[in-house]
Amino acid sequence: MPPKPHRLVMDRVSGYADEAAAYLRRRRLTRKPFARVYAEGGGGAMHPPESESGRALFLAAARLIDTAR
Amino acid sequence: MEQMTTVVVQETLAAFTVYMFQHMADQTGGETPKSGPAGPMASEAEFAAARFRSLSDEIRGCAILGPRGVLAATGELEAWAEPAAEMLAAADAAAGGNSSHAHVATEEGEAYVVRLAGLAMVAVTDRFTLASLVLADMRATLRELARPADESIAEAA
Repeated sequence: MPPKPHRLVMDRVSGYADEAAAYLRRRRLTRKPFARVYAEGGGGAMHPPESESGRALFLAAARLIDTAR
Repeated sequence: MEQMTTVVVQETLAAFTVYMFQHMADQTGGETPKSGPAGPMASEAEFAAARFRSLSDEIRGCAILGPRGVLAATGELEAWAEPAAEMLAAADAAAGGNSSHAHVATEEGEAYVVRLAGLAMVAVTDRFTLASLVLADMRATLRELARPADESIAEAA
């Protein structure tokens, strides 16, 4: 006997929801702190915390975040 | 993703509406230009900052900066002035000139910088916000603030 049509829709929706939840969980676990800066000319670059510019960015960001508490 | 409850939405709306009414005179006053050669006025910047803050519960705070320093902030102006200037300077130094925008994500939260039309804005959000949305809202805030008064009036008419 074929499944009822609404069951198919519900299965599909809950499947998508499960996938989305897993994606968000993976994103939260794997995402590391980062700094991205884009120049007015259009180019953008990552600045790792180990670099001098990255260190300055992370320090400034930390201070800004403290201000917003 | 967790959906915002109706109560939270209504509370945000209520808070924003009170702020809107407090600034109603500034917004409708025909004799007061929205922006002049010196840039937008502090009251308009305050309104813009409050409106941006009310967009999402994930936004913790923001500050809008003009050529002469902080125009408005969601907290104390003095408290925001130095960290905001420091953040802009760090972004500019990293870009090797003027930066158009920057995004720094830390364990404690996320910091954003946007420059547009001679103005700058810094914002702090919770972790894992959608950067493209936050940046688009920041740009829209600055664009609206930088728009000349006659253009706004023509659009409203």
